[in-house]
Amino acid sequence: MEHEAEKSVQVQGGSSDSLESDPVSRVRKLLFRRMLIGIKDGRFFLGNFYCIDKQGNIILQDTVEYRSTRRSSPSPMEQRCIGLILIPSSCRTSCHVDVSLDEQLSLLSLNEK
Amino acid sequence: MAALDRANEPQTPVQLRPRIPSGDNSVWADVSPLLHAACQDLQEGDLIHGDNFNLYAAMSALEIMDPKMDSGMASTYYSLDEAIEKGAAPVPISADKTTDVRCIIDIMDHLLACEATWHKGHSLAQTVYSCLYLLRPERTSSHVLLHSYCQVIRATCKAVLSVVADARTHEEEDLFVMAYGLPLSGDGKERCLPLLNAVEETICRQLRASKTSSSKRRVSEDIEPLQNNPDLEEGYCKALLCRLRFRKHFYHLLMSMKRPQGGGLELAREHIASCISEIGHIRKSSDFLRASAPEMSEKNVENTTASGCQPIGFDASLNSRLSAPTPPRAIKIFCLEKALEYFVKLLHDLDVICSYSLDPSLEAALLFVVKFQKSQPDLISRAHLQLLLVQNGKLFGRYPMFSMITRAAGLPEAAENHEFQKNQLMVQLEQMVINLLKIICTNAAWQRRKLGKMLQDLRVIHVQLELAFKKEFGNTSNNENIGFKIFQHILVWLEEQTYWIAFRFLTVGFELELYADHDYCMVYWYIYIVLINLAEKKHLRIAMSSGAGKKKTKKKRDSLKDGGMNYQISDAVKFLQSQIYLAEGLGMMLAALRNECKIVPPQSPFSTEHEIFIQQFDLLLKACLPESISYQTYKESTAQANFSTLAMCDYFKVAHKMAKELKGNFANDPDTMAELGRIEQVAERNNIALTVISRLGSADPSMKISFTLCHHPFFATAIVKRS
Repeated sequence: MEHEAEKSVQVQGGSSDSLESDPVSRVRKLLFRRMLIGIKDGRFFLGNFYCIDKQGNIILQDTVEYRSTRRSSPSPMEQRCIGLILIPSSCRTSCHVDVSLDEQLSLLSLNEK
Repeated sequence: MAALDRANEPQTPVQLRPRIPSGDNSVWADVSPLLHAACQDLQEGDLIHGDNFNLYAAMSALEIMDPKMDSGMASTYYSLDEAIEKGAAPVPISADKTTDVRCIIDIMDHLLACEATWHKGHSLAQTVYSCLYLLRPERTSSHVLLHSYCQVIRATCKAVLSVVADARTHEEEDLFVMAYGLPLSGDGKERCLPLLNAVEETICRQLRASKTSSSKRRVSEDIEPLQNNPDLEEGYCKALLCRLRFRKHFYHLLMSMKRPQGGGLELAREHIASCISEIGHIRKSSDFLRASAPEMSEKNVENTTASGCQPIGFDASLNSRLSAPTPPRAIKIFCLEKALEYFVKLLHDLDVICSYSLDPSLEAALLFVVKFQKSQPDLISRAHLQLLLVQNGKLFGRYPMFSMITRAAGLPEAAENHEFQKNQLMVQLEQMVINLLKIICTNAAWQRRKLGKMLQDLRVIHVQLELAFKKEFGNTSNNENIGFKIFQHILVWLEEQTYWIAFRFLTVGFELELYADHDYCMVYWYIYIVLINLAEKKHLRIAMSSGAGKKKTKKKRDSLKDGGMNYQISDAVKFLQSQIYLAEGLGMMLAALRNECKIVPPQSPFSTEHEIFIQQFDLLLKACLPESISYQTYKESTAQANFSTLAMCDYFKVAHKMAKELKGNFANDPDTMAELGRIEQVAERNNIALTVISRLGSADPSMKISFTLCHHPFFATAIVKRS
C-alpha cells in the first residue's frame, strides 16, 4: 500500500508548555523508526534511525540503498543492503520518517499549538 | 536551513521517493525541519541515540559520499545499460577497420594489466571486469576477434579462480575470490578454444597474404585483409597473433596443471615455454604499436597499453558495488611492463612446480615447498602447488598418506598396509600431515600463525599415541612385532616433525621481520634449543630405521655434539649440528652484549624482557616445546655470558669447521651445499667480529655493534664499527 501523502512537521511547535514539544525529545521518539533519506547524487537510503549529532549527521542501521539506473528519469531502481551507514548532513537533501496516519495527526495537532 | 535543502533538490533528478513504499497504514512524514531544530538545541558533542548505542560500533559505519568508503557513489554512468546506450563500449569499436584493430589491441593489453593486478589481490570486479565488453558476453558475438578474446579471458579467470578457491590459500588476499554477479563462464564452457583457434588461423592467413607482393595478392583475393592500410597489415597481424597465442597457451597451461596426479605437468612446461616466448613477441610489438598510434606517444612506463593510448570500454566504478561488502579500494592498475614482468615470474614459478619429480617422499615434498617459498611466489602459483601436493587425501593424488608417513618414519614396506592405518589416531595424524602440506603453501604471515597453532595439536596427538602404545604393549619390549615397531617409529618421527615445524615457525619470524634487535638473543637461544631437540629426534629416527635403534642409549645433547665419535652420526644430523653451534654462538654473543650493556633491553613497564619472551614464544611454550623450558631457564643459561672468556669463539669456529667438512658429503645436493656455504660465511664473519670485540673490550664507548641478515635468511652477522 503506497501513500503519496506528505505533510511537513512544523518546527515552531516547540513551545514551552509540554516536554513533548521539545524538538530534541521529539527526535528522540523517532529513534529506531524507519527513516528515508535522500542525498545529492539522487540515491535514497532506507534504514532504522540510530543516531544524530549536533551537526545533523545521521547514522542508519540495516540500511537499503536505492539508486536509479539511468541519469534520465523515469528509470528503474536498483537496491542493495549496505548495513550501518553514516550520512553526513552536507549531502542530505530530504529526510522522512514512516509514521502511522494517527501519529501524523497527533504530530500535526502538536504543531498547531 | 530547510530552505537551503529545498534549493538543492533540483539536483535530484526526480522525486523518486514516493515509489519507495512506507509501511501499511502509514505515510512518509518530512522530518527535516524537526531535525534541524533539534540540532540547534543540541550542545556541541551531544548525540541523540537510543539505549543500545555503541560508539565503537557506530565508528564502523560506512560514510556515504566518501569516495574511499561509498562504493555506490554515482560516477560517469548510473548503470551498465546507460553506459552502453551512451556508447561507452561500441561494437565494433570503430567503423574504420584499422582503428578497430588498434583499439582491440589496446583492450587486450589493458586486460592483461588488469589480470595481473587481480592476481596480486585486488577484486575481480574492479580489475578485469572493469571491461564493459566482458560484462555483456552476448554483445560482442558479432565481432569474432573481440568475442574470442573476451571468451578466453572469462574462461581463464574462471579457471584461476577455481584453483585458488579450491586451495584456500587466499586468506590474506580475500578480495581475490569474490566474483559474485560477474559473468564468469560466458555461454559455453568448452567453446572458447575452437573460436580462438579459428581466429588465430584467419589472422595467420592474413599475415601470409600481407607478405606476398601486391600482384600476387590479387590471386589470394578470397583473403580479406585484417584492416585497410596495407603498410600496417603485417605489424597488426603479428601484434594480434602473439596476444592471442599467449592467451591460448596460458589457458592450456592452466588446464594441464589441473590434471589429476600431476599428469599434465610435462605438457604444461611446453605451454609455459610458449607463453614466455609470446610475451617476448608482445614486448617486441610495442615499437610498432606506438609508432602507429594516432598521437605519437613517448615511451611511458605508466602505460597499460603498448600503444600508449587509453583503452576504450573500461569503467571500474560501474560495478564497484559488486565488490561489497568491502569498501571500494583505490586500485592502481599495473602498467603493461609490470604486468608482463608479473606473468614471467608467475610462469617461472609454475615451471618450478612442473619440473618437480613428484618424489614419493614426505620429507622431500616439505623441503621442496620450503625451497619454493624462498622465491616468494604469488598466490596463483602457491595455489597450484598446493593442489598438486594434496589430491583426494593422497600425496600428488598417488601415494596414500599412511604409507608416506610410515616411509618417512623409516618403517619397512610391510608396514604400509598394516591395519593400524584404520586407527582413529592415525587417521587424525594423516589429516594433520595433509594440513601441514597445505599450510606451508600459504603466505608467510598466515603460514606462521597456522604452524604455531598446529604445534599444540601435534603434541596432543603425540600424547594420545603414546598412551595407546603403552596400553597395547605395556612394558614388554617385543620389538619384533610389526605393530610395536610402527608405534615406536611413528612416535619418534612425529616428535622430529614437530620440532621441524617449531624451527620453521621461528625462522619464518625473520622473514616477517617480527624480531627486534633486543629479541635476537632469546630467539637464537630458542632456535638453539629447538635445533638440539630436532637433531636428537632425527638421530634417533635414523638410528632406529637403520636397525641401530635397539641400542637405546641416552642420547644426550653433549654426546651429539661430540661429532660422531661413539655413534654413527648421519650427515643430516651433522648438518643440523653446524646450525646448532651457530645458533648457540649467536645466542651467547648477544647475551654477552646484553650483559655488558651493549644491547639494552626495553625498559618499558608494558614490555619487559619476560613479557616479550612470552609474546614471542607463547605458542611453543603452550605446546611444551621442549618441556620444562621457561623464561627462567633462558635467564639462567645466558646470565653468565661475557666476553672475558673467549670460549664462545669456539662456537663459530666449530660451526665453520663442520660446515666446511660437510661440503664433501653433500656434493650432489646443490641446495644443502649453498646452505653450508652460507653457514660457513656467517660463522667466519661472526668469529672475526667476536675477536674484534674481545680485543677492544666491550666497554669501549666508540664501538658500535649492529646485526644484518644479508648473508643468511635467519642467522645474523655482527658488524662492528668504531665511530
